[in-house]
Formats: sequence, C-alpha cells, structure tokens
Amino acid sequence: MRKSFFAENPSVLWFLACLGLFTLGVTVLAEATGAGVISTSFVKTLGKVLCLCLIAIAMDVVWGYCGILSLGHFAFFGIGGYAVGMWLMYARTEAIVTQNLAERTIPPTPTEINDAIATQIFGVVGSTEFPMIWAFSHSLALQLLLVVLVPGLLALVFGWLAFRSRVTGVYLSILTQAMTLALALYLFQNDSGLRGNNGLSGLQNIPGFEAIPQSVISMAFFWASAVALGLGYVLFARVLSGKMGSVIRAIRDGEARVRFLGYHVESYKLFIFTLTAVVAGIAGALYYPQAGIINPAEVAPIASIYLAVWVAIGGRGRLYGAVIGTAFVSLLSSWFTGGGAPNINLGFYTIQWTEWWLVLLGVSFVAVTLFFPGGIGMIFEKLKRNAS
Amino acid sequence: MMKFAKTLTSAAALTIAGSAAMAADCTVKVGVLHSLSGTMAISETTLKDTMLMLVDQQNAKGGVLGCDLEAVVVDPASDWPLFAEKARELLTVSKVDVIFGSWTSVSRKSALPVLEELNGLLFYPVQYEGEESSKNVFYTGAAPNQQAIPAVDYFLEELGVEKFALLGTDYVYPRTTNNILEQYLQDNGIAKDDIFVNYTPFGHSDWATIVADVVALGEDGKSVGVISTINGDANIGFYKELAAAGISADDIPVVAFSVGEEELSGLDTANLEGHLAAWNYFQSAESDVNAEFIDAWKAFAGEERVTNDPMEAHFIGFNMWVNAVEEAGTADVDAVRTAMYGQEFPNLTGGTAVMLPNHHLAKPVLIGEIQADGQFDIISKTTEVPGDAWTDFLPASAVLKSDWKELGCGMYNTETSSCVQIKSNY
Amino acid sequence: MIRIFIMVLALMCLPPTAHAQELQSLLQDHQKSIAKPSRKTVGPALAALVASGLSNVPEFLENWQAKEVYSRKDDGLFFYGVKSTDGLVLTDIDAKDVVATVDPKTAQQIKPNGGVRKEIASALVQFQLSDPDLTRRTGAVDAIARNMAGSMLAPLMGSIDNEPDANLKARKEKLANYLNARFGANSEDRIASIEKIADDLSVDGRAILSQILATKFEVTEGATKANLAATFVVGKDISRSEAYDLLVSEKGLPPVLSDNELRLALEDHVEGGKIAGIPIAQLNDLTKRNTVYDALVTEGLVPERATDASIDAALNRYQIHNVFLEQDRAVTDAAVKAQSSVQTRVGVNQFFDLSLDAVSLASIYFLAAVGLAITFGVMGVINMAHGEFIMMGAYTGYVVQQFVPNYTASLIVALPLAFIVTFAAGVAMERLVIRWLYNRPLETLLATFGISIALQQLAKNIFGTQARPLTSPGWLDGAWIINDVVQISYIRIAIFVLALLFLGLLLFILKKTRLGLEVRAVTQNPRMAASMGINPDKIKMMTFGLGSGIAGIAGVAIGLFAKVTSEMGSDYIVQSFMTVVVGGVGNVWGTLAGAAMIGTFQKGVEWLNPSNTLAAQTYMILFIILFIQFRPKGIIALKGRAAGD
Repeated sequence: MRKSFFAENPSVLWFLACLGLFTLGVTVLAEATGAGVISTSFVKTLGKVLCLCLIAIAMDVVWGYCGILSLGHFAFFGIGGYAVGMWLMYARTEAIVTQNLAERTIPPTPTEINDAIATQIFGVVGSTEFPMIWAFSHSLALQLLLVVLVPGLLALVFGWLAFRSRVTGVYLSILTQAMTLALALYLFQNDSGLRGNNGLSGLQNIPGFEAIPQSVISMAFFWASAVALGLGYVLFARVLSGKMGSVIRAIRDGEARVRFLGYHVESYKLFIFTLTAVVAGIAGALYYPQAGIINPAEVAPIASIYLAVWVAIGGRGRLYGAVIGTAFVSLLSSWFTGGGAPNINLGFYTIQWTEWWLVLLGVSFVAVTLFFPGGIGMIFEKLKRNAS
Repeated sequence: MMKFAKTLTSAAALTIAGSAAMAADCTVKVGVLHSLSGTMAISETTLKDTMLMLVDQQNAKGGVLGCDLEAVVVDPASDWPLFAEKARELLTVSKVDVIFGSWTSVSRKSALPVLEELNGLLFYPVQYEGEESSKNVFYTGAAPNQQAIPAVDYFLEELGVEKFALLGTDYVYPRTTNNILEQYLQDNGIAKDDIFVNYTPFGHSDWATIVADVVALGEDGKSVGVISTINGDANIGFYKELAAAGISADDIPVVAFSVGEEELSGLDTANLEGHLAAWNYFQSAESDVNAEFIDAWKAFAGEERVTNDPMEAHFIGFNMWVNAVEEAGTADVDAVRTAMYGQEFPNLTGGTAVMLPNHHLAKPVLIGEIQADGQFDIISKTTEVPGDAWTDFLPASAVLKSDWKELGCGMYNTETSSCVQIKSNY
Repeated sequence: MIRIFIMVLALMCLPPTAHAQELQSLLQDHQKSIAKPSRKTVGPALAALVASGLSNVPEFLENWQAKEVYSRKDDGLFFYGVKSTDGLVLTDIDAKDVVATVDPKTAQQIKPNGGVRKEIASALVQFQLSDPDLTRRTGAVDAIARNMAGSMLAPLMGSIDNEPDANLKARKEKLANYLNARFGANSEDRIASIEKIADDLSVDGRAILSQILATKFEVTEGATKANLAATFVVGKDISRSEAYDLLVSEKGLPPVLSDNELRLALEDHVEGGKIAGIPIAQLNDLTKRNTVYDALVTEGLVPERATDASIDAALNRYQIHNVFLEQDRAVTDAAVKAQSSVQTRVGVNQFFDLSLDAVSLASIYFLAAVGLAITFGVMGVINMAHGEFIMMGAYTGYVVQQFVPNYTASLIVALPLAFIVTFAAGVAMERLVIRWLYNRPLETLLATFGISIALQQLAKNIFGTQARPLTSPGWLDGAWIINDVVQISYIRIAIFVLALLFLGLLLFILKKTRLGLEVRAVTQNPRMAASMGINPDKIKMMTFGLGSGIAGIAGVAIGLFAKVTSEMGSDYIVQSFMTVVVGGVGNVWGTLAGAAMIGTFQKGVEWLNPSNTLAAQTYMILFIILFIQFRPKGIIALKGRAAGD
C-alpha cells in the first residue's frame, strides 16, 4: 500500500528529497553547526517560513482541493501559538518565581507561589490573577494537547454549523473572516486573560534550555519545522490520493452533483476543514517559539488573506505550489521591507522599496489572478510536460 | 537559494552613511529600529528622520572617538515579531553598537529578549507604562510618575476635579497607567465609584455614547475630568464628538497623554482650546536650544513639520550616548552603560536631564493647553521628576526597585532584599 | 476704545469709592500669588482685589484671565501686554498709557490655568451680572453654573429683575431656583424650589438634588439620631469585608491581616529557625501561619488580629447607617421624591438617546455598505477594495479643502467630485480586472484585495501616514439638543439624511429606471438579457461605477465625522460585508435591515457593558456568525430563481 502510494505520487518523493537537501544545506551553512554563512536570525526566518509553508499546504487542501476559500485559517494557527506560548510563559516565570520565593525566611504557600507567578505574568497588563483559561498552563503535555484540540474543536463546531446550513462560496469566506476577526477582537481585550495587545512574549526562551545558545535552539526548531512540513505533506498527499481525494476534488468542481451521487458532502468538507485546522494549529505552535512573540494582530483577517494569496501565487491545487508560493512571497517580502532591495533613482523621483513594495505586491496579485491562474506551480507543470 | 540567502544577509540593512569624506575605517554603527510602514509608521517615521538628522549633525561635528557614525535603518513594518527579528539582525549581522527605536510597548517587549541575549543597547524614546527595567534598555521617555501622576495632581489640585473618567485604547499602556491612576486616585480620597473607566479599540470612531456617558457623570454635582490615554487616530473622532457636544474645557477638562503636535495636525483645533496634554516637551517651549532644534528639524525634514516629545527623548538619549562613548573611550556596550549613569544633558525646555541608575531620566513635566493653531500653551512646569521604573502605587510594585549601578538588578525586592530576576519581565 | 467705554459703564455700576490706593501697589502686595497663580492660593488675592473697590479691577481680572497680563522681570511690576512685530508693547495698568515696547524675553507672560481662570470668573460675577454687554452677563451666569456657591444666590437674585434678555432671564431664574433649593433660607422656600426641579432633566438639576441628598456613613450601637437615609444590612447592601473595614476605621477594631502582612509579621519573630516553637519549614500553609500568629498574640509579641469570630461579634454589635448630611427631614423627603421622579424620566430619555446613537451608527454602517449592496449584492462581485474607494472619497474631500477654503463650498464641490473620482476608479477596475473574473468569484476576491493593498500604500506614499483634517462647515458643528439628555450632533444627522437619500436614490434607480431594469435583467440572466438587446458589458460597468461612486460619497461623510487616513477603508470593509450578508444579498432593503440590526445590537451590548466597547464589537461579530448559520440568506431573503445559489 505504502509503496504504491509513493509510486503513484512521485512528486511527494521529489518534495521530500528537496526539503531534506534544503534542511541539510542550511544546517551545514548555519552558525551553530557549520560554516556560519547563514546567520541565526536568518535560520529563524527560514524556520518560520517552513511553518508558514505547512499552513499554506493546509490552506491549499481546503481551498485548492476542496474549494472552501477559508479566510480564517490563521485563527487556528494563532490558537496553536497561544496554546504553546502559555506553557512557555508559565514555565519560565515559575522557575524565576520559585527561585526568588525560596529566598524568603518562611517557605511560600502554594497560593503565594501561584499569586506571584500571576503577578509576574499579568502585572504588565495590570492584573494579578490567573484567568480560567490558564488552568492547564503548568503542563506541557496538556498544552500540547490543546494545540491540536482547540483548533480541531473550533473548526469542527464552526464547520458543522456552517456546512449544515449550506453556507458556501463567498459567504463562507466572509463567515470565516468574521470568525478570525472575532477571535482577534477577543484576544485584544485585556479581560480575555491572554495579555491583550501585548500577547505572549519571550517565547524563544525555552524553559529548561536557558543555557543553550539561540543559534542551536533556532536550528532545533528549524529541523522540527522541516520534519513537520514533510510529515504534513505526506499526510495531505495521502488524504488526497485514492477515492477520498477524488471525492474531495469532485466537491470542489460540482458540490451539488456529488451530493446527488449519494455522498455525504458535509462530512467530507467537515473532515478536511477540521484536519487542516489541526495542522494549522501545529504549524502555529512551531512558528511562535521562533518568532518570540504572539499577539492578537497575528490573527487579524489580513493574515489569512495573505495566506490565500501565497497559495494563489504558488498555484492552487498543487501542494508544492503552496510551498513555493509561500516561501517565495514571504522571503521576497522580508527582503524588500528589510531595505535589502536597492532603491531605484528615476532622476525626478526615487523609488524606495519600503514604500513601494506593497504596491508592487498588490499589483502582482492582480497580474497572477488575471494572467497566471495556475501560479508558479504551473510553470513547473509546463516544464515537466515539456520534458516528458 | 543559497545565493539568495547571501544577498539577503549581506544587504539586510539599508545603510545610509554620512557623506563626509573622513577616514571612515572605524565607523561606529547606530541602528534605527522604527517602523516605516504599517500602522505605526505614522509616528515612527518622524523618529527615524530625527535619528538621521542627529547622526548627520554629529558627523558634522566630527563623529565620536574620531570615527564617523553610520545609521543603519531597518523597517520592522509595525509587525511586532519583526522587531525581534530585526533587532537580532542589527546586532548580529550589521553589528551595530547601539539601537535607537521602538514605539509601542509590545514592540519593545518583542525586542527585549533578543537585546538581553545578545547584550545590545536600546534607547526607547516614548512615554510608557513602567513596570519594567532591563539592563539593556535606557528609557528616555516618561514613566507614569513623569507624566500621568503629575497630570492627575494638576487635575486634583488646580482644577479641583472630583470625578474622573479614564478613557483609553485597549492596550497595555492605558491599562497599566489607568490601574496605577485608579489606585493613586483612591489613595487621594477619590471614591471607587467616582472613577469611570472605558476601553475602546484602536482607531475607534463612534464616540457619541461614551461622550454622553461622561457628561452624565456630572449628575451628582461633582466636577468631572477626563484622563485620556486614547491612542493615535481614535483621538480625532473623540475630539470631534467632544466639540460637537459643546463640551468646553471649562466644563469637563480633558488631559491626554498620547496627543501631541503631530496628532493635532489631523484636526481643526478651534473647538478644543483649553483642553490639555501632559508631556516632557512641547514645541512651544521657549528656550534657545529648542529654537535651534526646531530650525534644524525644519531645515532637515521640511517647513511644515512639527517637533514632539519622543523626538526630544531621542535628542537627549543620543547626545548622552555620544558623551558616554567619548567618556568610556569605546562604543562597547558594558563600558558605555557604566558611563551612562549620571550623564547630564540640557533639556530642550530648559533645565538638565540626568540619567539615573534605574535607566530612566529625571525630566520636568509640562502641562499644555491646546491652542487654536494646533500648538500647546505651556501653563505648568514642574521641576525635574526622577523616572520611576516600578510605581509606588501598586502594592506588588511598591516593594520593587531598579538600580543597575549599585545593586546590578532591575527588579530588586526591598522587602526581602533580593533580586527577583536579572532579566526583565517580558 | 470699546474697552474704555465698557470700563466707564462698569464704573457707573460700582459704588463710588475713593482712589485711596493704586491697583498696581495692591497687586504688588500679592505679587507672588498673581504672577504664579494657583487655584488654592489665589483666593486671598482675589478677595483683596474685589474688596478694594478699585474701578479698574474688573478690567484687570478680565485681562488676567485672557493671559494678557505680563510681569516685568526686573521689578515684578504688572502690565498689560500685546505682542507686536517690534516686540512686546507694555501698557500701564492704572494710567492706561503705553509704557514701552520691550523684548518679550524681559517680561513674563502670566498664564493662569483653567482652575484659576474659573476662580477669576467667579470673582468677576458680581461685576458682570448686570453688565450691559450680553456676552459678559452670559459669561457670569456660566461661571455661576460651574461653581454653584451659596454666596452667588443673593447677587443672582438681585440681577434677575433688570435682566432685559428673556433667554438669559429664564436661565438666571433656573439657576436661582437651583441655588435656592440648596442654600435657601427656610424649608418651605427650599421645598418649593426642589419641587420645581422634579421635572428638570439637566445635569445641573440632578447635581443639586444629589448634593442635597449627600450622605455619609455612621456607625452606632443602636438607633441613630441623625437624618437617616438607610440602615445597611451586611451581606446585602454592603459586603462583610467592606462593613468590617468601616468598623476598623471608625471604631479602631483590630484590622484583618492580609496574607502578606501576616507573613511579614511572622518574619520579625524568627528565633533559631523557629517561630513560637514551630520550625519555619512547616509554615508553607496559611492555617499554620495563623496558629503561630495567635501563639505570638498570647505572648503579647504582636497586636491582635481580626478572626471570623471577632468580625461576627463586631458586626452584631454595631449598626451601619447611611445618614443625610442635610438635617432637615422635610427637605430630604422632598428631594428624594423629586430625585426618583427625575431618575425615571432620565432613564426613559437615556433610552431614547441610545436609540438615536444606534440609528446613527446604523446609518454609518449603511452608508459604508450601500455601495457594496450594489457591487456585491446585486452583481455578486466581491470587491475587497471597496474600503479603499471610501478612502479615496475622503481624500478627495481633503484635497478639495486645500483649494477651496470655504468649508461649505468645498463640501458642495467635494461630494460630486468624490463620486466622479471613485466612479472612474470603479469603472477602470471593472474594465481592467473584474470583467475577466465574472465566473471566478473567489479570485475576484484576491485580485481586488491586491488592488486594495496597492491603493492603501499609494495613499500612504502620496498623503503621508498622518491623519489628514477634513473639517465640516460651521453649520454642521454642534448638536441638536432635544433636551438635556437626548442630543445628537448635526454631522450625524447629516449622515443619516445622506443614508436615507441614498436608499431612496438606489431604490429609484433599480426599480423605476431603464438602467435599473437592465441591471436586474443582466444579473438574473445575462444571456437572455443580451438577446433582448441589452449590452451586459456596459450595464455591468455602469453598475460597478455606481456602487463605487456611492462609496466615494460615503467616504466624504465618514471623513467628516471621524478621520481621514489611508487605513480608514479597512476599518469598514469587514463590517460592510457582514452588513450586506446579514441583511440579505441582492436587496437594498436587506442592507438597511442588516445595518439597523448590527447598529442596534452593538449599542445594546455597549449599554449593558459601558466600560468595554471592544467586547461589544466581539459579541456583535459572534452574533452575526450565529445568525448567518441559522438564516444563511440573511434577514430579507430573495425568493425564487433570482436567489441563485
């Protein structure tokens, strides 16, 4: 069975090989492990890009294959990040607080320890008590479970409601957008107990590994992201192959017909929606320890729209297209906004890319949708066709 | 990919070098970490320009230690995680000696772990909520006791306000500041019921109901005042609604902590005369250094540009840093930090700012009334107030003290005489 | 000239007094408190000035208030100063002649702050109440309204009879009634005044009643002799800990120790690793700490602490009352009655006020969304750049104001111009981009999003990131005041009217014109329409232009009442889509219903939780999500084939 899967999908093997080579290449050139050509900050950038690629293939599955344009997948990504971030903050603070309280003459009571941790974490937003949602934050295992569970459940409930009422097309897009907006607004409130606009910060400091330099930690996260991307790719390729994949694609192309054929369309959609949400949550949980901070702006509607754009530019309906599009656009974006691109002096006006990059990006979306609906992935397809 | 990565890292920072042809084999690099795009570009671009001007001026004076200064400008694009990424890039790739930057608290908190890990040096120029002290950050903006507390004192003492409406945008600075103020007001005999608190989202525009609520506060015969920590654009709608409701500063005075000359340029101030703002600097301050600074700024950035408080903070911070480097004889972070303590530099508003061992400045607090021309009329000026990292008005913070010079600790518990943590809380 | 004339008049009103003293020398006696005035210290100086009876005191006070008094740095003498191009022109206070023109740096401008200005205004009241100048009399009445002191009652009463202006006379009478209710000589008078306030809605009137009814706590054993407002039941009117805290401060009972105070107290008594014989390692438990503390109490080492039992005993022993500061029972009874009648009426009016706000918010949502109701609702095109059309309209308004300085004229120019600009932009977008994507709606979304971010950034590059002023004409300033509670600003009324106009216009175009007929035909069945001789391309272009143009006008309106920034569009885009979807696509009435529902719901939540506007928005969106689940086609769903799928 497995053999036939890879044989049927040679692109999966190709992708895994490329990913492996890339990971090894970066490792060899990185500061921590090799030549030092690639700086730690760039390793972190690359690691983050891999996580974005992971959520992008999830987006590609849900949109490119199943035809649901979700403009809310970054909500799941953010939830994953918050779930892991809560543990990171709690554990880090707990270590500091217990060490400090131990210096008191009288040993602290459990309530005192708890209050001190709460003050330390929430003092910055003017509160001194643990909100309910932090109930599991002391346990890494439980929080990791939440990384999968909360996005999964949210997607399940939301999807069940939406698909049951036959909300489709652009309506569903707007509804998912409303979902992520509601989440962002909720998180923005300080009363929500996740530190409002400040969010959770200092996530790059992993409790228990304080002695290990960031160059090594960033490498570890880079590898973890690469492995997650590889596994995610295989998982989705597996889901999309065979009969199930055909049904899913059929739903995209003609939902009503599939329904008339006797398939329970809603269940398929719900399965895909939930599965991709879970993967998005995992991607988020890997992304934010590398970014160092998560805050509500991360789940604002615009983020999910960008996600759709990456997939579109890379080419919908091809998993590797999503990866290429994401890596290409997000790296290019960081190059332009970082001031890396040289300014163009027209004599009467100097084009500064920090100012004009977004204009260029916007225009290229239009160009891609109008002229290259297949995206960058299409170019590969054409090359392959020419070769064979 | 690899080649691309190389270009990316080598060209990671846009470099703007002073054009003076000096023996520049020993440049000292100054990182500028301000958003040039996104929501915060409104405020931060001005500070980037200020830094470029200050670097230019210093190079014209001969640089520091006989070396040219070079400004390395990056754009964190109002994207908070990018502040951490760009700070790392500045410190490890561009190898800058000091960073001037950040505006929002969250961007500072984002960059903090990186600064502490790599032992960088950041000058943070904006008024903030306090409750933080990092070995690697000098806070040249106002702490709450240098802006909020004196403004509330002014309300209590001079305007005789007995009932307070604390209106703020829902983020950390207003939340913490209002928390401190609530406690401070209660300590000063204002009942809890006489403090109305409201939080609105960024860019809020529908103010009618809130303004009506504030007016209704006067129904028990107490004189009402508004303490506004409303941020940025939202102020425009707020002041417009205030003017429409016919609320004059004589009826319900409003003192704002986030409204400066820049923000006022977005609206017609004719109906707002007499409302207040508290800062450490106003463009209208009458002094020779200020006139000189304004002239230089207008020549550098354009005739219609105004100056504001964070610009003064950068002005003081940068000059103190230059003097500290000269004194230390090196741009090395630890040496410069030691040389920073006790640095004095004249304020633009008169008097002298002093860098304290808790990495805050001692600065005077000014209260200004809005005038029809969009400038402030300074009606109150205190003597220099030393900045306090940990507020005295919240029980959890009252026992904490920051002293990097003697105690080597930013979060020292005076009750147990122990250092809670060497790193800052982010 | 006018000033001198007024001064002479003011002189005539004053009792003739001998000029025993010059004003300058009197001012010098109080040099410090006048040169650096503070609300708390300026009182004696003001009293002395008023008591001196000097004829030029009112003039001085007015100039002082207007920040026109300067103090010469050399000798501290005061002058009236006017800044001119040559320097500062100083005028003598007594002789009224120009003394010198000096360098502004040699004289200190005296800037009394708001609090001091209020005090000065109060001092000026007695000079101004009968002043021939109406604005001064109004100013004096304002000053009394801001500072309702008992001393004002007599001069105010005295000035009512000779007041020529009917409006001001009514105001004076009302104020006198307020003052009389609180400071009147006898109970009957006061009760009569209080009963008059019973049908008053103003904040001032309510304030007077609250002040009459001001209370304080009183702790007694047994009944109180004071004018009782209410006796508190612990656990119902007042919490147990609050009640005990009150007893602690009033009766000096031992305070409740906080956990931290307990710990600190114990830490002072550590002896050889033990406290009261118990090893400190065991004290990581609160009950144990309490036991140890009690042991220390018996040893007399620490003060007693409050225990549950002692708190109960104390609460049983004492009664806590709320008593009126006002001793006269008849007065407080009348005031209580008046207050309850006022409160009911205020409650009703506040509801109306909130409803007006809701209507206003709904009209703003409607205005922002109505363009979408056409492009998205009728044509089915997702235009993410709709918000940027709103922004373009607002910037058009701003640019017009740069060239046409008259605000009314500029508005008249800006509204049609904004329509033309965004109409053109809409048509261009439709021709260049959207028409290629009519059968790919999801991709329209992406392409228009691209246009949206490009336009936003372009606006930033052109106009800068700072908000730009768009000022409404003078006749839109201020508010329509229905009564003291219910009021709404004119600019919001204007937006409401504009929204109604658009509603009418759109309904007219879609239902009554040839264009509307063709639009409906093309959207329902383009091929059939084409075969009937309608040019679908042209119709779609015109429709899209119309929707965009309306967004432009909405932009001017929104800019007038809020702000003009490059990001203003993105503030409205998600809300606008939701308005259209909730209302029901393809129907202008639906958009109206959607806007009304969202506006009302949001104001409702704000009313329930007034301190957190953000929560109101969150709940509103959650509500919308749920609503759509149960009514996917919106409030007003189209029936039949037109609904499509």
